Amino acid sequence: MDLLQGTLDMLVLRTLVFGPLHGYGIAKAIRSASEEALDIEFGSLYPALKRLELKGWILSRWEISELNRRAKYYRLTPKGRKQLAEEHSKWAQFAGAIGRVMGPAPDGSEV
Amino acid sequence: MTLWKRLKYLSPSYRQAQEREMREEMESLAAIAGRRELGNLTLAAENARAVWGWSWLAGIWGDVRYALRTLRRQPNFTAVATISLALGIGANAAIFGLMDAVLWRKLPVADPDRLVMLGTDSRSYFVYSGLAAHAGEVMESVIATTGSSPRRLDPGAGPQQGGVELVTGNYFTTLGVRAALGRAILPDDDRRSDPAPVALLSYDYWQRAFAGDRAAVGRSLRVEKARYTIVGVAPPGFFGLTVGEAPDVWLPMAMAGSVVPGPNPLDQRNYNSLFLLGRLRPGVSPQQAATALTPVDIQIELERNGPPATEAARRELYESRLELTPAARGMSFLEYRFAMPLRVVFWMVAAGLLLACVNVMSLQFARADERRRELTVRLAIGASRFRIVRQLLTESLVIALASGALGLAIRQPIAAGLTSLISAGQAPVRLDLRTNLAVLLFIVGISLGVALLSGLVPALRATRRDLQPALQQASRATTAAPVRRALGRAVTAAQLALSMVLIAAACLFAFSLHQLRQFDSGMNRRNLLVIDLDPADSGYQDAQAIDLNMRLRGRMLAVPGIAAVSFSQNGLFSGRNSDTRFEADGFHNRKPRAHIGVFDMVGPGFFTALGARLIAGRDFNERDDQSAPSAVIVNREFARRVFEDRNPVGQNLYLAEDETHYKPYRIIGVVQNVRNDVRRAQPLFYECQLQTRIEVMSTRFLVRTRQAPEAAISGLRAAIRAEDASLEIGRIDTADALLDSTLDTDRLMAALAWGFGVLAIVLAAVGIYGLLSYDVTRRTGEIGIRMALGAFQRDIMWLVLREVALLCAAGLTIGAVAALALARLVEGMVFGLKAGDPRVEAGAAVILAAVAVVAAWFPARRAARLDPMAALRNE
Repeated sequence: MDLLQGTLDMLVLRTLVFGPLHGYGIAKAIRSASEEALDIEFGSLYPALKRLELKGWILSRWEISELNRRAKYYRLTPKGRKQLAEEHSKWAQFAGAIGRVMGPAPDGSEV
Repeated sequence: MTLWKRLKYLSPSYRQAQEREMREEMESLAAIAGRRELGNLTLAAENARAVWGWSWLAGIWGDVRYALRTLRRQPNFTAVATISLALGIGANAAIFGLMDAVLWRKLPVADPDRLVMLGTDSRSYFVYSGLAAHAGEVMESVIATTGSSPRRLDPGAGPQQGGVELVTGNYFTTLGVRAALGRAILPDDDRRSDPAPVALLSYDYWQRAFAGDRAAVGRSLRVEKARYTIVGVAPPGFFGLTVGEAPDVWLPMAMAGSVVPGPNPLDQRNYNSLFLLGRLRPGVSPQQAATALTPVDIQIELERNGPPATEAARRELYESRLELTPAARGMSFLEYRFAMPLRVVFWMVAAGLLLACVNVMSLQFARADERRRELTVRLAIGASRFRIVRQLLTESLVIALASGALGLAIRQPIAAGLTSLISAGQAPVRLDLRTNLAVLLFIVGISLGVALLSGLVPALRATRRDLQPALQQASRATTAAPVRRALGRAVTAAQLALSMVLIAAACLFAFSLHQLRQFDSGMNRRNLLVIDLDPADSGYQDAQAIDLNMRLRGRMLAVPGIAAVSFSQNGLFSGRNSDTRFEADGFHNRKPRAHIGVFDMVGPGFFTALGARLIAGRDFNERDDQSAPSAVIVNREFARRVFEDRNPVGQNLYLAEDETHYKPYRIIGVVQNVRNDVRRAQPLFYECQLQTRIEVMSTRFLVRTRQAPEAAISGLRAAIRAEDASLEIGRIDTADALLDSTLDTDRLMAALAWGFGVLAIVLAAVGIYGLLSYDVTRRTGEIGIRMALGAFQRDIMWLVLREVALLCAAGLTIGAVAALALARLVEGMVFGLKAGDPRVEAGAAVILAAVAVVAAWFPARRAARLDPMAALRNE
């Protein structure tokens, strides 16, 4: 499934609400949260992380992973949390609007 | 905040740290997840760098490095392109700087837009005082200045000529100009009753005469006969108010009596030697101020010369209006002298730069041909066309900016050279030619323009997709040739057209100069010497000086080989004039200007020595002294204007002695027009020095020799020294040399036009040669077949030369039309022929056609001598 333009940032912020994760961890988390529907390529995820970092919505720090390996962990900043809340409500409005237009699925097989 | 973070990425060390960090992070993730799982890490890193926002800069930097590498590999092309463009840019920047200084730049004073000049001519101190006293309503202040005139300066190391300007005490405060060192001249220095002998030096003079020594302030400086205390140094950019006339020293106006010889000019109501300027009050327009000041001006005129005598004069006075002209750019007399030459030189120089551009463009076409395989490969493996065009343009830009930098370096010498060329023989013109923002912007601007002009079309053509067959063709690219040829033809025709314009200009100016040199100036210039003497300087006053002149004349006549000797105050071609008000029998012109006559005071036998023919009456002789009736001789132009068709001999001329008194002079002769300015005949009359017992400031002797004049010079020097060894002998010139020195602008224009014209011809010839050589090589097979089928050598030659004939026809027609259109620009500058003279155009066309045929001859001959067998085997 392809992502809608601009939703990747929102997904990353949402994923980090549960706590710090490294880059690969974020990709895995999105995949499992979407029940394997969204497979984010690392090639697009990584620049998104750098973008969010530049905007000051997330922070990164070297930490030791549960498997005792060094990795860079990303966490939300207060600014990022605020941004997430904003995007969340915007998304809800958007999804609702699209939902109302589309309505229940017509059963096309009958026509 | 984000901006700041981004800026940090500009620092190489920060960026390196980030790169390292990124690599580490990727390696750590690869260890956790495996490389396969993560996908293309190089792309991820590249996209992350794009987030930093400077990848475009990195791209440009890459382009620049690539361009430098490419250009280094082709040093010949790089050198030719850079040098020709640098010359063009440097010359254009020089002209731009000159035009800026002469025509456009505002004075470096406070709020120059509120400065106005009062009246169009110089006025007397009496007028200044009156206007200054009554202008308070509309003006903050009124100032007066004499402008810079040559005086004798002595800073302690012997006297030298220097420019001295007398200014009223409020001059510097009104202009808002503060001294760079010490203080400026203040109102308190300029007391009429008790003037302070103080001097302000110009920055330039301070550097020259005092080597920039700060201790110069407080020392004394001699100007003419009096000593002054130096109180300060003016700021470096301040050159006075007259463009091109930088004074060395400023003195308070009240010192005028000790600077100007003769009676104190400030006491003479009609001694019009001052320029009046004022600073308008904020919000007052020059028109409003003129309306307010006109009644004051009329009142002053009534006070100074009494009520007008006639009804006509009365009406004229009351209808006059004081003119106020904005003086934000200063008082520019240079504008009249230089505006035209500068504009014409500007166009010539611009055409030169355009030619250089076209040439670089054709070189770029050739390079693009050579690189087609490389470019096609790059296009084929997926580089975008935009990317390659950008890269090729970067090359042009590197060349253009390097040329711009070089041009900046050579700009100042070129500008200085041009200034001294234009002003040679006359008062030196001093301009502020330092590099300023406008000049820098101009250079950057034309460098960018040059890069686009010379690089864009070749870059676009080199990257066209339809050139891809080039990949398959290892040998000569015949399919691409027609386009290349059409472009080559267009470029060559453009070169020919530009050359045509420049050569036409060169022919025009050369012919004009020739006419000026040959022109009958009303005298015999052969074997005529002009000697400059200054008797007043050695203490001879009034009558003594005239007696001295007579004694010197006698001694010089005794020198072997001398045919005739006389003298005059203003001499020949010196640009010096004296004028006075006059009336004449039966002359009723109402215009006051028509009653101002230009005259010279000459010795006996003047016209004989000059070789000027008297149309009627007789020359002055030794008996025309104070006991004889006062006599004048008028020239033909004067006779025509004042006496129209009447015979002037025997009529009276009345010359103003002072404001109200006129003295009658009998006209004893009419002489043909002796021209001081070759371009126009000026009305003139002559008085005899034996009768005019007024101050003689300097004398110019005219000596007619029997043989070559140079041989007589040492004998004449000895004769002068024998009379009085203390007499300082100024210059000794031949009349021809003096005339030539008045023709500097004409000579300059001719020389410049030829310079650029020859350059243009050479470039056009190279272009034609290159184009046809390429053509012959490409058509070798065709020529071989033609010869095998029986074509003669002359048929083959015609095949090639026909190409040139077509090119010439196109290029010369366009060039002739352009030359005709531009001819209007130089209408006022040529003498003795019309600017669009068909003979000139025809001459230029013949020269160019001849050069084109010569350039085409070699490829044509090569084609004609081809061995048909070899040619066919080549295919």
